[in-house]
Parts: sequence; C-alpha cells; structure tokens
Amino acid sequence: MERFAEQRYICSRAIATVVYLASEMGKPILIEGPAGVGKTELAKVVASATGHPLIRLQCYEGLDEAKALYEWEYGKQLLYTQILKDKISEVLAGATTLDEAVERIGQQDSVFFSERFILPRPLLAAIRSEEPTVLLIDEIDKADPEFEAFLLEVLSDFQVSVPELGTIEARSQPLAILTSNNSREVSDALKRRCLHLFIDFPNREQEQEIVRLKVPELEERLAAEVVSVVQRVRKLDLKKAPSISETLDWSKALAILNVESLGEAQVRETLSTIFKYEGDMRKAETELREFVARKKAAAETAEGPKPPADPKDDVLH
Amino acid sequence: MQARILEFAELLRHHGLRISPAESLDALSGLVHTGLNDREVVRGTLRATMVKRLVDVPVFDELFEAYFSALGQAIRETAEGAGEALGQTLEEMRELLAKLEEMLAEEGVELSDIARALMAADEGVLEQRLREAIEEARGEAEGKGRFRPGAFANAVGSAFGMPQLQEELEGAADAVEEAMEGDEAARLREMIRQRMGDLQEMMKRAAAIERTRNEEKKRDDAGLGPIGEKSFYYLTEEETREMKEAVARLAQRLRNVVAVRHTRTRRGVLDLQRTLRQNISYGGVPFDVRFERKRRHKPQIVVLCDVSDSVRNVSRFMLQFVYALQDLYSRVRSFIFVSEIGEVTRLFEENEAGQALDLSLRGDVINVFAHSDFGRAFKDFHSEHLGSINRRTTVIILGDARNNYNLPHEWAVRDIQSRARQLIWLNPEAKTTWGFGDSEMDRYRPYCDMVEECRNLNQLYRVVDRLLLA
Repeated sequence: MERFAEQRYICSRAIATVVYLASEMGKPILIEGPAGVGKTELAKVVASATGHPLIRLQCYEGLDEAKALYEWEYGKQLLYTQILKDKISEVLAGATTLDEAVERIGQQDSVFFSERFILPRPLLAAIRSEEPTVLLIDEIDKADPEFEAFLLEVLSDFQVSVPELGTIEARSQPLAILTSNNSREVSDALKRRCLHLFIDFPNREQEQEIVRLKVPELEERLAAEVVSVVQRVRKLDLKKAPSISETLDWSKALAILNVESLGEAQVRETLSTIFKYEGDMRKAETELREFVARKKAAAETAEGPKPPADPKDDVLH
Repeated sequence: MQARILEFAELLRHHGLRISPAESLDALSGLVHTGLNDREVVRGTLRATMVKRLVDVPVFDELFEAYFSALGQAIRETAEGAGEALGQTLEEMRELLAKLEEMLAEEGVELSDIARALMAADEGVLEQRLREAIEEARGEAEGKGRFRPGAFANAVGSAFGMPQLQEELEGAADAVEEAMEGDEAARLREMIRQRMGDLQEMMKRAAAIERTRNEEKKRDDAGLGPIGEKSFYYLTEEETREMKEAVARLAQRLRNVVAVRHTRTRRGVLDLQRTLRQNISYGGVPFDVRFERKRRHKPQIVVLCDVSDSVRNVSRFMLQFVYALQDLYSRVRSFIFVSEIGEVTRLFEENEAGQALDLSLRGDVINVFAHSDFGRAFKDFHSEHLGSINRRTTVIILGDARNNYNLPHEWAVRDIQSRARQLIWLNPEAKTTWGFGDSEMDRYRPYCDMVEECRNLNQLYRVVDRLLLA
C-alpha cells in the first residue's frame, strides 16, 4: 500500500490484498466497477510500483486473435522469397521430377514459419518477454464472447498455441489485469480463473485524500467541500454518477479558476465537468442549490450575520 | 480451518452463489499466502476468490459477518460495554485483574484459564471456548429435533461451565473482600458481577446467532423453486426483483448465442473478384483470400401490449426482455393499450424498462382504468399506424384476449397480418381457458402466424429466441 501511495494511488486494504494475492498465486485479476474509479489506473500503478513494463491490450468489438496474439508477416515472407529466389533455384537445381522439388521445398518449410516472421501482438509479447510484465486487458466486456474463450488458454496456463510452431510457453509469468465496465456479464469460465475485485466509489476520507494527492494546489477546505458535494450528488438517481475522475476534473477546474469557496455561481459554471448528461445536470442543480443555501446558513450562524459576498467577485478575475 | 472454509463455501452455494471446487481451492491457497491474522484481509481473500458476480457481494458480506465474526463481535461488544458500565478502559480492567491475581496467589487460590480470559476480555480464548460449547449444545438440540433459544442458551451455558465459573468468581470475590477493604474491593466485586452478566449476554447472543443460522438453513432446505417456471401472475415483490435479474441474464445469454450464430452464418462463399484484386500485389498468387459477407437482416419489431390489470406483469417482463435485446433488432416500436392505444417507444428509449413502464402506466398516454377492449385498440392501430408495418416487421401482440364482450374487429388483425412478416400472439392465460367466457382468442387465432402460451420466463425465452431466428 505504501508503494502504491508513492505512485500517487490511494487504495483500500481490499485492493491491496487482491493485488498481493494475484502476484503470489499467479492468477489474473478481473476488476469491475463503475467507469472512472481507477481500474485502468491500478494496472498502471502496479506496473510502475513493481518496475515491470506494462503491456496493454485495448478490447473492442471485433477484436480477434490476429490483433491480440500474433500475425504472420506475409509481406516479409514474400519479400524473403523474392530475394532468395536464386537460393531457392539452387535448392531445386538437381530435382528432376516435380515430386522431388516439392519434397525439397518441404524440407525448408520451417524457414518460412519461424519466429522470425511472426509479428507479436500484446498477448504474445507479454508471454515471450524475458522479464515479468504487467499485462492489462482493458474493457474485456467490449470484446466478443468468443474472444473471451480464446483468452482462457492464455490466462490459465500462460501459453499460446501457434499451429505452425507448436506451443509457446511463458518465459516469465505476466501479472494479468482485466478490467470490465459491466456492459455485459463476463463468462463464468473466465471469472472462475480470475481473482475478482470490485472497485466502488471511494468513501469520503479516501476521496478527499485522492483529491489532495492529485490536485495539491486546491485548498484543503475547498477540497473537502468538493468531495462532500460529489458524494451527495452520487446518491441521486443519475444516468451517470460522477466518479473520481470527474471529481478530479472539477477540482482542477476550480483550482485553475482560483475559486476560494463554493458559491452558487461557481458551481453552476463548472458543473459541466462532473455531469455528462443534460438531464443529470438539471436533477443535480436543485440538490446543489440546497447545499449552497445550507452552507450559507451555517456560515452565518457560525460567524454572525454578515452580508454574503457577491459570488461573481470570485470568478471573474 | 480448512473444514470451516469449505463449510462456508457450502453455505454460500446454498444462497445461490456458484462456487466451483477450483474456487474453494483458490480460496484456501490464497489464505496460505495471506495468513489468518487480519479479518479484513481474510475477507478480501475469500471475496476475490469466491465471489465473481456483483449481485453476490452483499450476500457474501452478510454471510461472512454471520459466519466468521458474529461471535467475536458479540464478545468484543460486551467487553466494551462492560468497560463503559464501570467507567474504565480495557487496560485499567486488565490492571485490576493483575492486582486481583496477585492477591489471590497470596491466599493460595489460583484462577482457572477461562475465568482469567473472561475477566481480561481475552477474545481469542473466549471465542474458542464459546464455539466448543455451542458445538456441544447444537448436538444436543439436534438430538431433540427442535430449537428453542432459551433452552439453547442454557445448554451453551452449562457446556461452557457457567455454574462452576460463577462459583469460582464468587469465591474469588469473597477472598478479595477478606483480604482488603474499601474502594478497591468494591470495584473488583462490581467488575466480577458485571462480567458474569456479560457472559449471560454472550450466551443469549450466541443463541440468537444460532437461531438465524437455523432459519437460514431451513429456508435453504425448503428451496425456492426455479424462478423460470414461476407463473408471472403470482409474484411477490422479492420475486419481481429476482425476475428482473433473471430476465437480464437470459437476455445476455440469448445475445451471446446470437453472436455466435451470426459469425457462423456470416461467412459466405469465395469472392473471386475481390480476391483477385487484393492479390495483384502478390503477383496474382491468391495469398489473401476474400469471402463474400452475407448481409444480416435485423428484424423489426412492433409490440402491442395489453396493460390492463390482469396481464400487466407479463407485459412488464415482455417489454423488459424486448428492450434488453434492442440492439439485435433494427427497430422496436411499442404500443400499450387497454381500450385506447398509445405509443410508448420514446419512453422506453429514454428510460430503464421498469421505470418506463411505470411512466407509461401513469395514465398520461392512455386511460389505464378503462375496461379492456381489444377490438377498439386494433381498430385504432389499423387507422393510425398501419403504415409503419412492412414486410420486415414482426408484430407481437400480448394479451389475454378477454374483450368484455365488445366487438372484436378481427378484420383489423387480418390486415395487420397481411402487411407484416409475421404476427405472433402471446397469451398469458393457460391454453385450456382460451375461448371460454369473454375470451376471443379463437376469433383472432386464424389471423396469427403463431399463438403461444406465455406464462413464465422459460416460455418467454423460447418465444424471443424464435423471433431472432426468423
């Protein structure tokens, strides 16, 4: 956990436990959770904390083996055949019958289907790598169900079968991290082979710490306000609840604008950083207005009645 | 420990989690790596290895609490409570205990292990002993064949050795009284009395925990029949929720099936022209072979849902199912009717299915409190929306065809069928009741390509599956 903190990543014990288990047991981790809570970030942090290179495979609809695993370099093969034409004629020189010629070419088969002509894609690269790697398979739910089935061999045994070459086994076992946004349920077979980790929105303290770490220029008190607003907004029934990345965006926006305290005007003007839908924004607006009003009331009782500062002053400089 | 983990896995399975033996093994080997010292770490380990679905997380958390820590918690809480009642911290209590022991040693009396553990609020020892006692009492209760919390608490008490303990501590208190006077002795006595009370409390809690355990077990044994066969008519609120999940899961499964089916059927014959063109750069050697791709026609769907009281539940799940699979169709339009007919396509595109249905049933779209009149609904549809139906459209009508003796206007259905690719009628009533009373099913039936009974989820699944094949 300390190593994570050094990498500027705040995590709960549950997350740390799972990462530790994965590295000890050599099992892949499947991370699920709402968008923007730092699933992908976790993989990056694990990579930099352990000092291993990160190999990333972004999944999308229609992703197939050729793009995920390996491809034969046809072009290179053809080029070699052209260049080596003379050599090939040499090999064929003494052949009298067609059968004999085919036989001789057949003996050279392995030249053309060797590792030289293979173009490694992320999965093969991770497996062939000399040093251990962190393999990030991002948004597995976006890939087709067939692709999942194909991943099973790679993830459970860390080996790849290439028909022309046989099975390639991992030289060093990569730490595999899969992420899913739950746009569809990942198959049970895959889940069974993984450690499962669910990352939810952080609680208030954690989120505050994250904001402090990532946007240090934002004033502490304001950061606390931002976090408490976001935490409240999340409880509303929104199409897309703001996640940590949105909190951070908002914090950065406020820091850039040099805002000193959350007033109604500032909130309204920067609202677009945390809400991605028009409907959500409207829903949240009433809630935010309430928050600002309550804050004002609290400030008045605490410091005695004083005229509320014109909120425009804060923003327009 | 191994046995307990496996038993826990068994318990989880009883509650609907799917845990394979491989996963239990993972859990065990994971615990070897993490150790058992930290509760949170153990919880994290078990969760990561055993719980793979989001919906199962709350169940797991609850069971974990109940199974692994309820007793420990009870012990901890009573200890804290005792400290509060006496106005002392645990450290002070332990100090006092040390003094007591010292004194007793002078008198030549020695406290038993369990008494010391109780006084010092040593959770480990107490929990261990309490567990043994519960195990013993459980055997006894099972022998009797019934469970009474009071009797159970007593049984645990005697297995724990409560009477002896009571005696021993009383004796100790007396000894202290003799040896010293004043404040200190009174405080010690008070502490002893308090801890004995706590012990009683622990027994009670243990009995309560045991009772929930028993009840859960009973519920598991009884089992809830498979939800797929449950009739839509008789659903409790709980089951409605469950059904919603089941619908979503089924939709997903169907989607996967369809995806495979499509990739299999999509590859067509060799496309000579494109292959030649593609391979000119290889000197005409057909290195890169191209195939024709079959275009797939996504079906269009128009759903007409009866939403009168009698069939509302079925309509709900039908609509949810259809919309969960929306991307598999090129277009879905949905209408609801009781006697008027109204389009709710927009509502379903903008909201989650359950919510959309609630919105459409508020009465803004149509009057939902009218009496069912299929005839009028079809006539209205015929005059207003017939143009939207073409040769690619599949029309699904969902209703019980109970027309309250109004005019059935079956000609409207006939016209719809003649324009559409196919017309399917789903009736949530049992087949045997069709045509009796005010049911007009037999009048409409000649104009339907398919009439299906659709009373439960499995039937619904079959129907939708067939739709996609069409």
